[in-house]
This record gives sequence, C-alpha cells and structure tokens, in this order.
Amino acid sequence: MDADRSSRPVGARAAGAGVVAALSLAVGVVLGDAGVVTLALPEILRDFGATVGGLAWVLISFNLVLALAAVPAARWCVRRDPVSAQIAGLLVFAAATTLCAVAPSLGVLIAARAVQALGGAVVIVESLELLVTATGTERTGARRWALAGVAGAALGPVAGGLLTSAFSWRAIFVVQIPLVLVALPAATALRGRTVRNESNVPATPDRPHVLANIALALLSAALTAALFLLVLLLVDGWGRSPALVAVAVTAVPAAALTAGPILRRVRAGTRSEAVAGSVLIAGGLAGLALLPGAHLVWTLAPQVLIGLGLGFAVDSLTAAALRERTPRVLHGGWTIAARHAGVVIGLAILTPIFTADLRHAETPAKEAIARLVLDAPLPGSTKLDLAEQLGRRLGAERGRVPDLRPAFAALRVPPAQAPAVTSLETGLEDQLARAATRAFRTAFVVAAALALLALVPALALRDRSDP
Amino acid sequence: MRTLSLPLIAVLLVGAVLGVQLAAGGAHYVPLRPANPCTARPLPPTAQQLEPLAEQIVLLGLDSAACRLGISRERLVLALGDPRSLSPATTGALKAGLGDAVRRLDDAHHLPKVSQLMPQVLAQAQLPGLAKTIIGAIPAGIIDSALPTGALLRRTVDELDVSRLVRELGDPSKLQSAIQSALLRAAGDQIRNRLQP
Repeated sequence: MDADRSSRPVGARAAGAGVVAALSLAVGVVLGDAGVVTLALPEILRDFGATVGGLAWVLISFNLVLALAAVPAARWCVRRDPVSAQIAGLLVFAAATTLCAVAPSLGVLIAARAVQALGGAVVIVESLELLVTATGTERTGARRWALAGVAGAALGPVAGGLLTSAFSWRAIFVVQIPLVLVALPAATALRGRTVRNESNVPATPDRPHVLANIALALLSAALTAALFLLVLLLVDGWGRSPALVAVAVTAVPAAALTAGPILRRVRAGTRSEAVAGSVLIAGGLAGLALLPGAHLVWTLAPQVLIGLGLGFAVDSLTAAALRERTPRVLHGGWTIAARHAGVVIGLAILTPIFTADLRHAETPAKEAIARLVLDAPLPGSTKLDLAEQLGRRLGAERGRVPDLRPAFAALRVPPAQAPAVTSLETGLEDQLARAATRAFRTAFVVAAALALLALVPALALRDRSDP
Repeated sequence: MRTLSLPLIAVLLVGAVLGVQLAAGGAHYVPLRPANPCTARPLPPTAQQLEPLAEQIVLLGLDSAACRLGISRERLVLALGDPRSLSPATTGALKAGLGDAVRRLDDAHHLPKVSQLMPQVLAQAQLPGLAKTIIGAIPAGIIDSALPTGALLRRTVDELDVSRLVRELGDPSKLQSAIQSALLRAAGDQIRNRLQP
C-alpha cells in the first residue's frame, strides 16, 4: 500500500467551495437528524397522544436504521456511479423527510424516519467519496466529512428546538428538504470527475479497522450525553430558552473546529490524538456532572473540552479507519455504522438512567421547596396559600421540572411581603435547578466512563510512524 | 515526547477545569436537605399576636411530630397534602408534637400573656357585642391569672381535632374558625375549672 495515499490528490483539481459547502451541508443535515427531534418530543407527544416508550422510537428508529444500513448502503454504492447513487440517496431522503413533515400518525412518522435513515445512509457514505473528489485530497475530504458530521450532530438538537418553539415540530422536516436538495446540483457538478468502476474496486475489500471503529462507537455513545442530555438539562431542567441554548452550545462545534489547526501544528500521531480526545471528552462530561451552578457560563469550559476532544478523536479515528483501506466508501460506512450504533447504545444506557434519576429527584426537590416555604419570613396564611398553588404546579408537571412562576403570579400579598415572596421564588427556582442538575449527574458520569473506555482501543492503535 | 505532549495537555486541561468546578462547590450543588427534626431549633422571639404564635407552635410542633415519627419535617408536611393518607399514628404524633411545642415555649417563657392576645381574639370571635365589651373590661391581671397562656394552649391542643384541621388546611377561614373555637372552648373550660370550689 502507498503509505502517503491519504494526502495525495485524488482528483484532477479541487472543485469550488460551493460544491464542498453543499455536500458538507447535506452531511450535517443528515447526521443532525440523529438528535434533531430531541426537543420536539414533548410537542409530538401532545400531537399524537402517544406513549413515552413509543415516542422514543422517533429518535431511536433513525439512529438504529442508520447504524444497520450504513455498511449495506456502502456495499450497494461501491459498484455504482457515485453521483447517481448520491442523487438517489438525496431524493429518497428528501421524500421521506416530506413524509415526516406531513405524518398523520406516530407510526407513519417512525416509518418515515426509518426510510429517511436509509436514504441518509447513502447520502453520507457517497458524500465521503464526493468530498474527497471535491477537495482534491483524501485527508482533507475525510476531515471535511467528519467535521460536517460533528457540526450537524452538535447543532441538530438545538436547531430542532428553535424550529419547534418558533413554528412546530413539522418545521424541522420542512426546513431540511431544500437544505439537502442543494447537494443535488453539487453532486451533478462532480459527474465525470469521480470514477468508480470494476477496475478500481478491489475484489476483496480491506477488513474494517476494528479498534478505530470501536473507539468511535464508544465516544459516540459518550457524546450522546454531551449533545442530547446537555440540551435537555439546559432547556427542560434549567428552563432556558432554546434560542439562548442554541447560542450556548455552539461552544462544542466551535471548539471542535479549533482542534484541526492544533493537530496540524502538534502532529502527535493517531494514537496520541485519539487518547487526548478521549481524555478531553471524559473530562468535559465529568465537568458537566460537577456543575457548581445553574449558569450557562459553567457549562462553557466542559463544552470546550468536549469540542476539542471531539475534534481530536473523531477526526483522527475516522482518518485511521479510512486510511489505506479500500473501497473508501465501504469504510466510511463502517465508521457511520459504528458511530450510530454508539448513539443507540448511548441512548439505551443513558435514557433509563436519567429518566429514573429525574423521577427520584422529585422527592428531594419537593422537600427542599417545603423547607424553604416553611422557613420563609411570611405569615402562615400566605404560606398556606402558596403551598396550595405550588402543590397544583408540582402535581401538574409530574415527571418534568415544574414551572413555579404561575404559583407566585397567582399569589396576592401586601407590598410589605413582596420582597420576601420574591426572595422565596428565587430560592425555589434555585432548588429546582439544583435538583435537575443533580438528576443528570449520574448519566454524565456514566457517559464519561464510556469515553474513558474508548481509551482501551485508542491505546492499542498504532501510529503511522510505529514499526 | 511529541506523542506524549497532547495527552499530557489534555490531562492538565481536564484537571484545571475539574479543579475550578470542585473549588466552586461542584460536588455540593444539590437540593437543600431537610434538617434533623430531632435537633431543637433556636426559639424565635416571643410572638405578640395570635397568628405568629400559632405559626411558631405549628413549626415547632411539626419538628417534634416528625421526630416522633422518625421522618423529616418536610416529608411530614408533604404527607399532610394528602389527608386521605393520614394514619392515626400521624395525627397522634401531630397532636403530641403541638403539645411539645407549647411546653417548650412555656418553659422558655416565650409565650405572651393572654391579655396581650385578648384584643385580637375578641375582634375575631363571633360573640355578641355586649359580651365582647364585658370581657374587654376585665383587668389584664385578672385575665392572666385566670388563664395562664401555657395551660390555655395545652388545653386548646387537647381540644383540637387534628384530622379535621389537616383536611381544612386548604381553607384558611375554616382553619381559623376551628382554632378559635378550640381556643374559646379551652378558655371556657379553664375558667370553669378555676371557678369550681
């Protein structure tokens, strides 16, 4: 094998920035779909009157089908014209996304999400091939591909939340249709530039890079926590607006983007990059488990660690999984399968943990609220009025973090008591934020442990310079 | 050395972030825990009016009742939110706890004289105007010697129907009326006892 194949030009010349951007956007949109409905789930639940268990399949079906379909889709693509396969994938994805947008029932939505993942699998694996052609080198193309996926996965939940709060959950899917279809002319522009036929497809494909793919799966499981749980904590737990959260969580993709220049400067090798990335992701998740307050600023440093780790590890592990292995599209499929299997495993492990912890957090939260109300410097009659209102709010929001503001808005007190009431309201909101933050702690710790587990395959990787 | 530099920097960065978060109290950012109800709280200043006095007795009484039941005061209060789940043991503990609270305030001389509370009691009591005028004209010294506050409140607690009181927690007017009638009944009993040879 040619040791330097990853960096040599693979196309006659690089395509325009617009083509690269359109293909990257398609990758970002498809991989963003993995978590795009996270914040829309309550609204979907209201619309369809479904059970929570059934609702989870809106999220799981996409990731599961993507994990299962990525390698078969890559095998299907291997012997086809990349541009034609990409166009077919984009059309299937767009059609399924349209069906998601108009789905009349939960069953149809789940089925459409599965078809979306099928089309998405083809779009993702073929985008790798086309990005390598469009950028001119395998390393740059693979990095663009990995980075677009990271940005999409990081921004997906927030974009979904913003669209749901501004319009409705259906808007999430409506917006995606033109975004992915932009890749149609971009793919067409590469027709004739990338050739894949019987002559350049090996009879026996290279074996997948097991260690790199296992590490990717474990880190993806851990990153599920960072991307899904953090957004849930900030929006549902702390009651921050999706718009504000959207700004706050851009720290992850922003830090991931800075990882590239650092890697190029240090050139520490695949193993070091993967180890450092795993340590940073685990440390960032541990930081989210140890938040000292419910201020967005406290989440920034852990997010930066996670973003840097993501940039280091996913970039180098993806490159390791693809390097010197043919056909490239198949090995791209393996990395997507590993990552989304990791997401499904992460969801399967972490969801029961944090939902159970959220349920168990109810009693300590209620006790803390009771303590503050009992000890508040207010007359007994005001406390009784308030207790009744608070009881209604706590009862109405079973299983979710309640909004106590209506209880205080309904309270009529003389002006002399107003400062004590305001102070009590602030105190109670602080207790709720503490209880919600505590409820997510175990899930973040488990996610950090998954990231640390990725150190095992990462340490066993061989650097290219190793004998 | 180059291969070690990146993991080393990662460990240092993680250590710095976690160190700052732990120093800022990250390990202790949890909801307020209920206080031990068996540990006596410091007594508040002597209440000069009926409502603050009632509140003091209820708060101290809840502590004592929770201590008797082996649960936190907060858990007891939350249980009171659902009167259907009230057991005889809970109502018994509540009554005993209120008695303990009166005793503690009395022993610490933290109870006001009945004469100090009388104007407010009379203003709220549903008595004929003439009766209110006559009672209001009785000198404070006679009232205080006939009705020592501690004894009056202990008798009031004995008169209280705790189950009914808990059921009426959501209706302040009914609650107030139940306490007042228990107080007046206790006062009547106390005076009758004093007048008996």
